[in-house]
Amino acid sequence: MSVLHIAMREARAIFTTPVGWLVLCGWLLVTGIFWVASVGMYVAESQNVVFNPYGAALLNLQDHLVMPFYGNTTVVLVFVVPAVSMRLFSEEFKQRTMELLLTSPVSTLEIVLGKYLGALAFVLVALACTLHFPLTLEYWGEPDLGAIAGGYLALFSMSAALLAVGLLASSFTSNQIVALVVAFAASLALYVGGWLADGPDHWIARLGLLSHLEDMLRGAVRLSDLVYFAGIVGVSLFATWQRLESFRWR
Amino acid sequence: MIQVENLTKVYGATAAVRGVDFTVAKGEVVGLLGPNGAGKSTTMRILAGALGATSGRALVGGVDVFQDPRGVKRILGYLPEVPPLYTDMTVREYLRFAARVKRAADPRAAVERVIGRVGLQKVAHRLIDNLSKGYRQRVGIAQALVHEPQVLLLDEPTSGLDPAQRVEIRELVRELSAGETTVVLSTHVLPEVEAVCDRAVIVHDGRVVAQDTVEAFAAVGRTVTLRVARPGDALPSRLLAIPGVVGVEPTGPGAWRIAADRDVREQVARAAVDDGLLELAAHRALEDVYLRLTRGEGEP
Repeated sequence: MSVLHIAMREARAIFTTPVGWLVLCGWLLVTGIFWVASVGMYVAESQNVVFNPYGAALLNLQDHLVMPFYGNTTVVLVFVVPAVSMRLFSEEFKQRTMELLLTSPVSTLEIVLGKYLGALAFVLVALACTLHFPLTLEYWGEPDLGAIAGGYLALFSMSAALLAVGLLASSFTSNQIVALVVAFAASLALYVGGWLADGPDHWIARLGLLSHLEDMLRGAVRLSDLVYFAGIVGVSLFATWQRLESFRWR
Repeated sequence: MIQVENLTKVYGATAAVRGVDFTVAKGEVVGLLGPNGAGKSTTMRILAGALGATSGRALVGGVDVFQDPRGVKRILGYLPEVPPLYTDMTVREYLRFAARVKRAADPRAAVERVIGRVGLQKVAHRLIDNLSKGYRQRVGIAQALVHEPQVLLLDEPTSGLDPAQRVEIRELVRELSAGETTVVLSTHVLPEVEAVCDRAVIVHDGRVVAQDTVEAFAAVGRTVTLRVARPGDALPSRLLAIPGVVGVEPTGPGAWRIAADRDVREQVARAAVDDGLLELAAHRALEDVYLRLTRGEGEP
């Protein structure tokens, strides 16, 4: 119950501060640009293959519109999620409100989970706000719903992982800007880290986010990918929990 | 109700609290008194479960703060030095949240009750961000009271308030203690302790240096300073002969400080009048003890 109360307060707080709305506006603006650009490219490609029956057979909505759109959109999360997570603990430290939670009959784990789930609810709202893109597609064409679901699973998994990393970052500082920069740097490193690898199956590549998003974006859900994202969330939340516990003993 | 035994808290190389011992009985109001940095806030934060101790034991309502922190937090209300307010919420929303995380039996009813009790009716619908310091402090107190705790810890509840607001908070504390709530409040305002507390615990440099009932501390005339124009040789012995006087200590030419276990002003005046009595001043024992124990070494 306490987890729920803390989560609700957190989600409320994101929506009652300008930061939440600005992040949401930025997110919709950039995803909107990506969508229009993706559709534009798809239109251009279909015009190119009008007189090429072989090409026309290869051109389809999932591979040439849905997948590129969601794939490109994942990079936006690297910017958006740290902006949501930066205030989670930093603001509590700055405003000295952490004392209220620490002296309530609530465990530190419940505080961590409550904060995380509250912010995750906001991210879900942000993702839901992009549903009109696939809905228009559904109205005008016949897209593969699996690819769309996979796209959202990819966005959600990545947000959940980055949010946990950002939560951990914000538990180390009372300065939101520091929390933002650290979370952003860590997210970007996770995102592009795989580029250092020699090949797609190299272990370094498997450490990065991108290699685990590929199959999901195609609409194929693999257990190993889910375990990877759950692992990032688990490790980050555990570290945040221990970080808060250490507060009492410093 | 509260039992603190040999409590010690060390931050790195500095000890904030070193072996604090005191007990508080049910319904009692105890003032923790001491200069800034004496360890009052640290002691309170440990009791409230916001901070661990390096060693020692603390029991609240018979429950060990370190063994069962949740059990203690259920029966304890705490107002930190800076009230922990979410300024983007209205007073009522904030208190509802506090009531829920503190597991008040009926959160909505508890909030309305505490709003009435602390006098927040007029601002209940306003954003905390827009409230004055006095109201913010009251919201902080309401937050500590909302789950009807048996023990209330108030860290400098009247700091930064105007005199009328101070009086209101003192009245509230008195009301609460009449209702069997045990209150520990910290302050460095001596008259406040005399006004509301049953007992005072003076803390200095992380140690309890004196504790007694406020009546004992507040007794007037137990310490008397005397100045005469023509001190005769026999004056000190005449002063010592007064029943109740336990010490006479010269503080300058023709000046003495007299310690007694009762009010001896009249007798001292009579004994000194022929030596040219110039000045006779009675000191409040609390102020006296406080200054003697803490003077000159405030901030570490």
